[in-house]
Amino acid sequence: MTTMLLMLAASGEGGDASPFAVNFGLFFWTWLVFLALMFLLQKFAFPAILKATEDREQTIARQLDEAAKANAEAKALLEENRKLLAAARGQAQALVAEAKTAVEKERSTAIDKTRHEQEELLERARREIAAEREKALTDLRREAVDLSLAVAGKLIGQKLDGASDRSLVEGYLASLERVQ
Amino acid sequence: MMLQEAVNVGEMVLHHTADACSIDVYKWAWHIPGCHLNYPIDATLAPTKHVVFLFIAATLVFLTLWTAARSIAKTKTGHAPKGFAGAVEGLVLWVRNDIAIANIGHGGARFAPLIITLFFFILYGNLLGLLPHGSSPTGNLAVTAALAILVFLVIEIAGFIKLGPKGYLATIFPHFPGLHGPGAVAMAIFMSPIEVLGKLVKPFALAVRLFGNMTAGHFVILSLFGIVFLFGHLGVWSWGIGIGTALLVVGIMGLELIVALLQAYVFALLSSVFIGLMQHEH
Repeated sequence: MTTMLLMLAASGEGGDASPFAVNFGLFFWTWLVFLALMFLLQKFAFPAILKATEDREQTIARQLDEAAKANAEAKALLEENRKLLAAARGQAQALVAEAKTAVEKERSTAIDKTRHEQEELLERARREIAAEREKALTDLRREAVDLSLAVAGKLIGQKLDGASDRSLVEGYLASLERVQ
Repeated sequence: MMLQEAVNVGEMVLHHTADACSIDVYKWAWHIPGCHLNYPIDATLAPTKHVVFLFIAATLVFLTLWTAARSIAKTKTGHAPKGFAGAVEGLVLWVRNDIAIANIGHGGARFAPLIITLFFFILYGNLLGLLPHGSSPTGNLAVTAALAILVFLVIEIAGFIKLGPKGYLATIFPHFPGLHGPGAVAMAIFMSPIEVLGKLVKPFALAVRLFGNMTAGHFVILSLFGIVFLFGHLGVWSWGIGIGTALLVVGIMGLELIVALLQAYVFALLSSVFIGLMQHEH
């Protein structure tokens, strides 16, 4: 142990060895070694490392771009879908509303028509009834005139069928009707 | 023989942080062929311990990034690598995006290879010094200065290319808004030494900061080991001193791990900031 330490301490050229000495020969060696190292690295190491990283950077950038594009596309699609859906909904609602109003209109016109027909029928019936009644009355009146003339003829023993007789009875009947 | 008499702690600390001509592993010492060192200033191209560790650091950086790159190249396109390659890729991209491009600004990607290499090279250089028998080439002023000069050249040359001759001259002879005529010329001339100094101070700070942090860390660790040499002879207390020293050194080692990463980060960051400042000078 001791000898080793002594040897360590005593190694070197001896004398004035100092880290502050300057050996100009080392300038040359440093430049030679450094420039050779840089040259070799430029030739064998840096291109591979930098190319790989640049490739990777490009790949990542491209993937990011693609992702952004896909995202934008998806967003646009979603927006379009939403718009389409909204439009479809609007259309459906419009269709339903239209159908509803059409039905409503149809129904009201149908009701109107029915009512109208009904009224017409009623009116006609009324008119016919009135006409029948009028006719029946006229018949009855003529019958009554004939009957009364016949009765009166029997009573006075002569035949009463002249126009004057007739108007007499008719006038009487009319007065009766007026009294009624 | 008592240890404290045989060992001069101060000298030991300097020895172990200084460059050397032999690499010591356990009890074997390998003398680097052709190596010789003169202190304090040397200018020979003879390889030294730090040169060897520069090569080791560069080899480790290359192996790390190359293995990761191979593994990444095999990964399916668009998928992130896993495990080791994933970790390395994360670090490389962090340095590239958050240090280089974030601080250089527009056009920063062109400087990313330089900044990434700087970061990893310095990080590995720092970490090598923490290994047993290892040594930090980044703890050598010549190495950090060489790296800083490289960064300085990149700052100025890239700036010149970007700004053009006229724009570049404006970074030395500044134009003050609202100043015209001879006053503007005088100010530009008076300010030019300060501008030039500003340019030189940046790489100087880079070099000294890295060197200082690495060397200081090693000083602290070695000085704490010095406690063993100084007080190890106190028989009764020797165990306590050994355990206490070990605990202290482990703590500082943890700190040094952080510093190793931090200083590599700071060097890369400031280099990016300085390049960016020059690129966007108007």
